Amino acid sequence: MTTTATRPSTVDSTGRTRRRRRVSAGRIVVYVVLVLALIPVLFPVYYAFVGSVMPGGDLASSPPKVFPTGFAWRNLTGVFDSIPLATQYLNSVLQAGVITVAQLVTSIFAAYAFAWMRLAGKRFLFAAFMATLMVPAESIIIPNYLHIADWGLLTGTGGMTPGVLLGLVLPFLANMFGTFLLRQAFLQFPGELRDAAVMDGCGHLRFLWRILVPLARPSIAAAGVYIFLTAWNQYFWPLLVTRSPGQQTLQIGITQLRNAEVGDLGLVIAGVALSVIPTLLIVLFGQRYIVRGLTAGAVR
Amino acid sequence: MTTGGTVPRAPARHTGEHLMAYLFLVPSALVFGAFVVWPLGDSVYLSMHGSDLFGGASVFVGLQNYTDMFTSGEFGHVLLNTLLFVLLTVLPGVLGALVVVLLLESQIRGARVLRTAFALPFAFSVATASVIFSVIYNYQIGLANGILGFLGVDKVGWTTDPHMAMVSLALTTVWMNLGYNVLVLSAGVGAIPGEVMEAARLDGATGVALARRIILPLVSPQIFFLVVVTTIQSLQSFGQIHILTRGGPDGATTTLVYSIYKKAFAFGSSDFGAASAQAMVLLLIVLACTGIQFGVLQRRVHY
Amino acid sequence: MRQRHTVRLLAAAAALTTTAALAACGGSDSGGSSTAAPGADALSHAKGVTTVEFWHSMKGPNAVALNSIASRFNAAHKGKIVVKPVYVGEYDDAIAKYKTSVQQKHTPELIQVYDIGSRFMIDSKQTVPVYKFADKDKWDTSQLEPNIANYYTFNGKLDSMPFNSSMPLLYINKKLFAKAGLDPNKPPTNLAEIMADAKKLTDRKHNVVGFNAAIYGWFLEQLLATNGDQYCDRNNGRSGLATKVDFASPDGVKVAQWWTDMVKKGYASNTGRTTDAAQQAFKSGTVGMSLESTGEMRDYINASKGRFDVVAAPFPRLSGTGSPNGGTIIGGASLWIDGIGHTDAQKRASWEFVKYAASPEVQASWHTGTGYFPVNSKALDQPSDKAWVKQYPQFTVAVNQLHSTKPSVATAGCALGVMPQARQSAEEALEKTITGGDPNAAQANLKAQADALRKPIADYTRAVQK
Repeated sequence: MTTTATRPSTVDSTGRTRRRRRVSAGRIVVYVVLVLALIPVLFPVYYAFVGSVMPGGDLASSPPKVFPTGFAWRNLTGVFDSIPLATQYLNSVLQAGVITVAQLVTSIFAAYAFAWMRLAGKRFLFAAFMATLMVPAESIIIPNYLHIADWGLLTGTGGMTPGVLLGLVLPFLANMFGTFLLRQAFLQFPGELRDAAVMDGCGHLRFLWRILVPLARPSIAAAGVYIFLTAWNQYFWPLLVTRSPGQQTLQIGITQLRNAEVGDLGLVIAGVALSVIPTLLIVLFGQRYIVRGLTAGAVR
Repeated sequence: MTTGGTVPRAPARHTGEHLMAYLFLVPSALVFGAFVVWPLGDSVYLSMHGSDLFGGASVFVGLQNYTDMFTSGEFGHVLLNTLLFVLLTVLPGVLGALVVVLLLESQIRGARVLRTAFALPFAFSVATASVIFSVIYNYQIGLANGILGFLGVDKVGWTTDPHMAMVSLALTTVWMNLGYNVLVLSAGVGAIPGEVMEAARLDGATGVALARRIILPLVSPQIFFLVVVTTIQSLQSFGQIHILTRGGPDGATTTLVYSIYKKAFAFGSSDFGAASAQAMVLLLIVLACTGIQFGVLQRRVHY
Repeated sequence: MRQRHTVRLLAAAAALTTTAALAACGGSDSGGSSTAAPGADALSHAKGVTTVEFWHSMKGPNAVALNSIASRFNAAHKGKIVVKPVYVGEYDDAIAKYKTSVQQKHTPELIQVYDIGSRFMIDSKQTVPVYKFADKDKWDTSQLEPNIANYYTFNGKLDSMPFNSSMPLLYINKKLFAKAGLDPNKPPTNLAEIMADAKKLTDRKHNVVGFNAAIYGWFLEQLLATNGDQYCDRNNGRSGLATKVDFASPDGVKVAQWWTDMVKKGYASNTGRTTDAAQQAFKSGTVGMSLESTGEMRDYINASKGRFDVVAAPFPRLSGTGSPNGGTIIGGASLWIDGIGHTDAQKRASWEFVKYAASPEVQASWHTGTGYFPVNSKALDQPSDKAWVKQYPQFTVAVNQLHSTKPSVATAGCALGVMPQARQSAEEALEKTITGGDPNAAQANLKAQADALRKPIADYTRAVQK
């Protein structure tokens, strides 16, 4: 099992300077290639933010402008008139929040059982649970949709209701990805930890929540960030189970905004810019958690 | 390695522990039962029934939906489109990220900042990315054609030309996935022990040689992982197709998942029977892919 | 089916207690299983406030106008009726959600359905036909524009209340017309003339194309109707359930070939099937002529202000001067009152709102707020409406086009249960021909799609007759 620890930064300094002198021409090529590659990568990001304050004429002219000729605040404020963006933000926070918390709880319990407890038929159960990862959500989306409809969770008018929220989150309250990740994390701790806890008269429940969970906090955070991002970005399921703009999540709202405001591209881009801010912050400042979560499957 | 797998000896509490362990698994089991296992059974049921006016299952039709599916030329196209989409997204996505990561890891200044810059698209969801690209792809007033016009090149029907639409979708998808791929591969390279790299460098390995002889073999698990994961992701892609092309033009971007959506929910259609038959095909394809993944990993990793 | 429903509910309850509690809701008391029209007393006997959930597909400024109609109605019926408009997505999405709601036995009281969903709504047997209410109340249906009512009339009886109606027009960029030396007062009247003018308008150096329109099945339906053609058999599905579509006729082929030629020769651009892209192209000022709905007029005029003038011209004929029995088909949507599963008070309340929505005053404000046609012919006499038409003189063209159209089988439009799919299929055939660039493939492409529709049509018929 390989560790995920980052490579020590203490690099032989003499070797480093020697190399730098030798391949400086090559290094320039590397920079040029990287910067050239960055242009198409960053351009849509640039456009999402600069376009959000471009006057309508800049965007609808032919050919369109790359640099703004003015500053249009009204795009950003106009979004709120066109769709209930604040409500949809809240909906997304609720939906992704509930999914994240619930999935962490169910995963922590299951991961602990699989990692630390005596359990008849553990191998079989673990394999069976893991098998759920092999079923693509899209292949069972029709019956899931019909069930949610049958249970009366598709009704409701206007705003978000507990029923609609249930419909949004129910299929995602547990997932083996998080369970697997946490099981791997729990397995890292030595068995003596539990022995010592038992000496102190600590039961499984107490040991799990008082000792193991605090110790595994980085892994849990990594799993949480990953689950949150996945839930936040969902598209197909929320598209099916929400009816009115007041119930929709941000992702669906943004798409509806595009359909509704075909004549006002500035508004549409502004909607994108406003809705991408939270995830952008996560990528900028929570990168190490993302990497931990992402690579749990890749590096082991 | 000593791990939690070694359970402390306390024979008297075994039964209680078993019970408690089952209890710990109950929440997950309930969710999987209600939202994976049961729907799977329903999918099979639906796929063998006709649909009434409102999409409800009507009469039992046996394998009719399957034979209809396989005898219609349409479904062959759908499978081909799906394959094409996977090829166009997975290969460039993984190879592109690999090149970027190798360049980033060639000990340059500012690698961290550059890596973060390459990772930025990861912040975009499928909806936000597709909406931005839809603006850029617009035939008459989009930036993509604006730039081509500036270069004196004829306009391209990014989402309206059947030969181009799939490429445009793939471009969007590769862009979206790039951040993820770069992060995974960077972590893989980062996990290579510093001594290994240094030893190789002291042996005189630089640039391409270092990448080919040391880095590539050591990150091959990550590359393999990415290929499998992005293949499965591509097979499941829906949002970009729904937003950018609606499966068109001329059905050129109707992949398996979009076809399921089209049959079940779009254009007033509610043929859940035919859609479920296609869903079963999707399930089998993804099962095969994950089967390959588990099979290969099983050989390397001991659970 | 019902048994299966129950089994599902039980299983669900076992699996998840939380949802079981919610599943218990639904169902209603009196009048639940009837599609007869209750009298006014149903409402006066009702206790408390009767709520009407109203599903619609209006967005942007149209949604604003619709909500204001509802709130004015609610204010006038305070304490008795509350109409709650709910946007449930585009027309296609609304129908999909409606189907689910029928299965759930939890339909809205009132729903706006697009023209091409009419046949399905009748066959779903969920609604109270509007004529039953009109008969009971002696509400005069002749105040509706006859051409509009014609679409929603089956066997001589009005099934739903037209609400938002539109027709397609030919829109012209006056500036580009003048630049090309063409007279904007003499717009082209048929496809051949459009091609001739488009040739003169096209200016590749300045990124100008003579013509651009969305590859929208509606336009094909319209063009065929101008030549007096039926779109589907059995008198456009009005003397019985249609068994096949006829868009692969020589006239249909002619349209596909014309369009393909236009694009191939560079006189037209292809912005795809979505109307959004075509609208953006026209508004950018680089398109000489376009086909669009009357509903788009206001947006076109406002968006082009200061850059170019917009001329509205009658929708072109397929060839020559068209057929005497031909003309344009009314588009848009109508309101359907759900009967099954709703109380008499609810049905009555829905009808009260429908009546209100179709009144001259409301239709005048609706028309001026959105650009849709007023479905009530008296609306055009309202002062507010007259002022509006003065501001947008282009609208007179639309009114004249509506009034000059002779109600006929062709202009009533095809009523087909799977019409939404049929429209998609026609679009796919058109798109395939246009993007393929071979006019000779038109016949084969249209026929392939028309043939492929036989199965869904047969399935639909079987499901209805079951």
